[in-house]
Amino acid sequence: MHNVSVNGEDILKRQLELAETNRRLLEEKQVMAVSVMGAIGSGKTSLIERMIDQLIAKGYRVGTIAADSAGDDDHRRFLSRGVSSLNLNTQDDCHLDAHTVDHAMSHLPMDELDILFIENVGNLICPADFPLGTAVEIVVVSTTEGDDMVRKHPKIFAQTDILVLNKVDLADAVGVDPQRVVDDYARINPHGKAFLTNARHDTGIDALLEALNLPCTNTR
Amino acid sequence: MHEYSVASELIHALLPQAESLGGKIVGVFLKKGELRILSNHAMVNAFELLAEGTVLEGAQLEIELIPVTVSCASCGYKGEADHVEDEAFHFSVPILSCPTCGAEVDLITGRELVVDRLSVQTSEDSETS
Repeated sequence: MHNVSVNGEDILKRQLELAETNRRLLEEKQVMAVSVMGAIGSGKTSLIERMIDQLIAKGYRVGTIAADSAGDDDHRRFLSRGVSSLNLNTQDDCHLDAHTVDHAMSHLPMDELDILFIENVGNLICPADFPLGTAVEIVVVSTTEGDDMVRKHPKIFAQTDILVLNKVDLADAVGVDPQRVVDDYARINPHGKAFLTNARHDTGIDALLEALNLPCTNTR
Repeated sequence: MHEYSVASELIHALLPQAESLGGKIVGVFLKKGELRILSNHAMVNAFELLAEGTVLEGAQLEIELIPVTVSCASCGYKGEADHVEDEAFHFSVPILSCPTCGAEVDLITGRELVVDRLSVQTSEDSETS
């Protein structure tokens, strides 16, 4: 028996290259892409809706990619806010990948967009392994999921830019201390930024948008 | 649960070289970065199943964990990252921050998924053993 060394290429190299291609396309089109990941029912769609409303009011042109295993509910919600949207059904796949996003972008009017929100499939494990080429990655959790979400899924929180804890208005009702979530996140990801929001009532959205470092409207 | 698609990519990437070796592949040694969210157990199961009917059938998939290493532009640190280790976590999590000065860091290793080597049995091996 003998050992043969292998050329040493990364198995997921194709994914990384595709993410890099997406990043270049977004830069070329001057579109800032924001990846929104998070658990099922955490309020990803509501949060994006509130951001859309504020961004449109400020004069930004917004697009969305709505990913779910099936259905077009989120996509229709985005369309009703007046944005360009594309519905993506991943069927049995538990995450989006760079190739799917590339395909989705080819169906969106990229020349007419400033901001693109990509809402991933509700899942706190798989999406972390598949970079999409976006400028920012947000993970959304909500108080109703409990205050141990960060500790239960540390790897995704260790490597994403922003944590949003949504439904803070329900924290008392479900016996959750939001500070515990924020402290856990700070421990795992010292450079990440945490925001408390109540997307249904527009609380905390301003601060979140400010942290995204959006392009200035007058330079477009 | 994306181990099947990753195992499928792995087999797809390996087959051309494996087929050209002219022996029985008995082992595949994979290096997995610590930040990769892949279950070893599920990877091994997926590999075994998907390798059936190919030259990789029967090969043992061995997975070696590669720790996160970082480089810091502020103080020049290069080396392993610190970890949050807590019983409550059930495993340790690398912190993407400089262990020396606390600044933001660039990742050197920790996200890779690379086949390092294959273990091959040829007719010569059985003659000499």
